[in-house]
Amino acid sequence: MISFILRRLISGVILIFVISIAAYTLLYFSGGNIARRILGQNATQDVVDRLTSELGLDRPLISQYLDWLGSAVTGDFGRSWFTSQIVVEGIANRLPVTLSIVIGATLLAAIVAVAIGILAAVKGGWIDRLVQFGSVLGFAIPGFLIALGLVLTFSISLRWFKATGYIPIETSFVGWLSSVTLPIIALAIGTIAAVTQQVRGSVIDALERDYVRTLRSRGLPMGSVVGKHVLRNAGGPALAVLAVQFVGLLSGAVIVEQIFALPGIGQMAVQATSAGDIPIVMGLVIVTAIIVVIVNLVIDLAQAALNPKVRLS
Amino acid sequence: MFRWKATAAIVAVAALALTGCTTGSGEPAEGEKSTLTLGAFLAPTTFDPAGSEWGNRSIFYQTAYDTLLLATQEGTIEPWLATEWSYNDDNTVLTLTLRDDVTFSDGSALTGDVVKQNLERFKTGTSPAANFLADVTSVEAPDDTTVVITLGAPNPAMLNYLTQTAGLVGSAESFDDEDLATNPVGSGPYILDAEATVTGTSYVYEANPDYWNPDVQHYDGVTINILTDATAIVNAIKAGEVNGAKLTNNDSLGEIEAAGWGIEFTELDFQGILLLDRGGVNNPALADVRVRQAINYAFDREGLLEALQAGNGTPTTQVFPTTSAAYDAELDSFYSYDPEKAKELLADAGFAGGLEIEMPSVSVLGTTAYTLIAQQLADVGITVKQTDVALESFIADLLAPKYSASYMALEQNPDWQLINFMLSPAATFNPYKYADPEVDAMLEKIQFGDTDTQAEVAKELNAYIVEQAWFAPFYRLNAGYAVDANTELTLTPTNAYPAIYDFTPKG
Repeated sequence: MISFILRRLISGVILIFVISIAAYTLLYFSGGNIARRILGQNATQDVVDRLTSELGLDRPLISQYLDWLGSAVTGDFGRSWFTSQIVVEGIANRLPVTLSIVIGATLLAAIVAVAIGILAAVKGGWIDRLVQFGSVLGFAIPGFLIALGLVLTFSISLRWFKATGYIPIETSFVGWLSSVTLPIIALAIGTIAAVTQQVRGSVIDALERDYVRTLRSRGLPMGSVVGKHVLRNAGGPALAVLAVQFVGLLSGAVIVEQIFALPGIGQMAVQATSAGDIPIVMGLVIVTAIIVVIVNLVIDLAQAALNPKVRLS
Repeated sequence: MFRWKATAAIVAVAALALTGCTTGSGEPAEGEKSTLTLGAFLAPTTFDPAGSEWGNRSIFYQTAYDTLLLATQEGTIEPWLATEWSYNDDNTVLTLTLRDDVTFSDGSALTGDVVKQNLERFKTGTSPAANFLADVTSVEAPDDTTVVITLGAPNPAMLNYLTQTAGLVGSAESFDDEDLATNPVGSGPYILDAEATVTGTSYVYEANPDYWNPDVQHYDGVTINILTDATAIVNAIKAGEVNGAKLTNNDSLGEIEAAGWGIEFTELDFQGILLLDRGGVNNPALADVRVRQAINYAFDREGLLEALQAGNGTPTTQVFPTTSAAYDAELDSFYSYDPEKAKELLADAGFAGGLEIEMPSVSVLGTTAYTLIAQQLADVGITVKQTDVALESFIADLLAPKYSASYMALEQNPDWQLINFMLSPAATFNPYKYADPEVDAMLEKIQFGDTDTQAEVAKELNAYIVEQAWFAPFYRLNAGYAVDANTELTLTPTNAYPAIYDFTPKG
C-alpha cells in the first residue's frame, strides 16, 4: 500500500513537471509583447524595453522557465504582472469562492434531482410529464440567461441577494449565503436537469424488478421500498452522472463568476490567460494539476478499499 | 408529510435576513460610517508611484497619494502639495515650494528630498508615462520645502504632468519595501486597508485621520470594486451596490437612467483612422495629401456615429479635444461626406483606377466598424486589405510599424501632451517618425513661446494637421460615468476617471 502511494506520488510529481514545461512553453509563444500589453498604448518604446528587461522577458525561454521553476519549488510563484498580487495569495483567496459555488451547486443538484427524479418515477402521470418538461427546459436554457433572470428578479427587483461580489463565510455567514445562493442556483439548474433524468430512468427500471414486486406483496409501504431498496440500486448511475457534471461545473463557473462579478479562479483564469499573465496562469495550472493528482489518488484508494477485486498490491 | 407552513416560515426568515444584508450603499444613518463604493474596470498594475498609470486607474493612486499640483474641473492647475511654483525666464528651471505640514501614512514627513527621490524614480521607472520626465536633466532639493527641476528644453506640459502620475509623491521609506506594489504609503486623503483589500478584486480605503486637507475628505471610507464585465457593472448599479461606476460602453444608458441614476459624460477619445504612413514608406499613395484628403471625404461620420455608438458622441475631423487651446469648432466638420469629391481627388493623384490599403483588424473594436469602413472606402475606389491581428500584438504591430493605416481609438490629451503622443517626430503614435518642416517650426514656437503664443500656434497647428489630413477622425466618443441619487459628481474634463475629491454625498 505504501509503495503504491509512493509510486503514484512520484508519477504525480513527474506529471506536474511535464505539465509545467508544456504550459510555460505554450504561454511563452502565445504571449505577444507582454510589456506593451501591461503598459498600454501610451508608453514609449523605451519604457516598454525597460519593463521587458525588468521582467526578464528578453532572456531565452529555457532561462526564464528555470528561473520560474527554481522559485516555484520553494512555493514562490511570484507576483501577477498585471496586479502585482502574490500568486499564491491570489489563488488562496479565490479558490474558496469557486469551491463554494461548485460544491454548493453539486449538493443542491444531488438533493433536488434525487427528490424530483424519484417523485416523477413513482407518481408518474402529470407529475412525471411536468418533471420531464422541466428537465428539457433546464437543458435548453443557457446558464447565463438563467443567471441574468435570477439577478433581475431576486437581486435587482426584490433585493434579496447580492447582484455582484463575494462575502467570505468567515466575515458573515448570511452575507456569504447572499452572495453565493444565486450563482449556485444558476450553476445547478443544468446539472439538476441531467441528473433528474438519470434518477428517474434508473428508479423506473428498478421499480419493474421482481424484488420490488415481492417486497410490495409482503405489504411494505412504497416509501420504504424506494428509500431502502430501489434507491441503492438506482443510485450508482446517478452518481456517475453527478461526478461527470462536477467537472463540467468547474468550467461552467467561469461564466457565472463573470456575471456575478465573483472573484473565483474561473474569472482569474480567463483574465490572466487573455492578458498573458504568465505567473498567475502557471500558478493556476500547477494548483489544478495538484488537485487532479490528489483526487485521482484518493479515488484509487477508495476503490481499493471498497472493492476487493481492485487490491493495490 | 411536507410541512408547508414551517417551510414557508423558514424561507421568509431567510429572505428577511438576506434582505438585511444587501441594503444598497445609500445614505448612512446617524453615527454610521459613510462609505463611497465605486466600480472601476481596471485594477492598478502596481501601487508603486514609479509604475503608476493615470486614466481609468487614476482613482486608485489619487485616493492613497497626493500629487504635487491639482488639475481642476475648470481645466486650471492649482496648488496641492506644492503651494507655489515659478519658471525662470527661458522656462527651463521650475522651482516648487512645498507644504510643510504633510506626513505620509508611515509617519514620515514630506520634504524636498522626498519629492526629488520620487521624481528621479519616476523618470527611470516603468510607468507608461515615464517619458513625461524625459526632459528633466536634474532635480535638486536645496531645503525641506523647495524643489528645483531643471529641464533640457522647455516642456509646456510639465505642470500638467505634475497633476498626474509624474506628480505622485510616496514615502521615501517605502521605496525598498517589497510590498509597495500592493500597499501604498502616501499622504493622500485615504489609506489603503491592506487586510480588507483583495488585490485585483476590491480595494478598501479608510479616511486618513491626519490628512492636511480634511475639506476634501467627504467620506469615512472608500471601496473600489473591479467590475470588468459590462453586465456586472449594470447589475451592480441597478442593485444599488455601488455609488458610482465607470461605464465600459453606452449600451445600457436607458436602463441605468430608469433606475434613477444620473450619467455624466466626457469626450476623451476620438475614434477614426490613423494615417500613420504619411511619408509613404510602406504605401507610397499615402504620401500624397490628396489621397489622405480623399479618405477623409469618403466617410459618413454621422452615419458611423449612429451605427457604431448609437449617436453617443460628436462627429469631428480634428484630433485636439474641446478643452484644448488648439480646438476650433469649425474643424469638426472640415471634411463633409462627399464620395464624388473623394473620387476626384484620387483621380487627380493618379489613382483613378483605385488603390489598396492594408489595415489591421482586432476583435475588441467590433466587426461592424471594420465592415462599414471597408464599404465606405470601397465606394470611392479604395480597397481595404484587412489583416486580423491578435489583441496581444495589435499595439506592438502598429508601433513597429507594420501598417500604413489603422482604425483606432486614441486619447485626446492637453496640447503639448497630445503633440508628444501623436504629432511630433518622436511621438509614440507617429511610428514612421514622419516630420514636416512646417509642423516642426510650429512645435518649436509652442515649446519656446509664451502662453499666448502657445495657444495661437496650437490653433494654427491643428488647422494645418486637419488640412494635411494626418488622420481621418470620425467622432469624439461619449464616455459615461453613472452616479446614484445619493452622490454628487462634477467631472474633471481631462481625465477618464473622476477625481476622488469630486464625489460628495448629496444633501
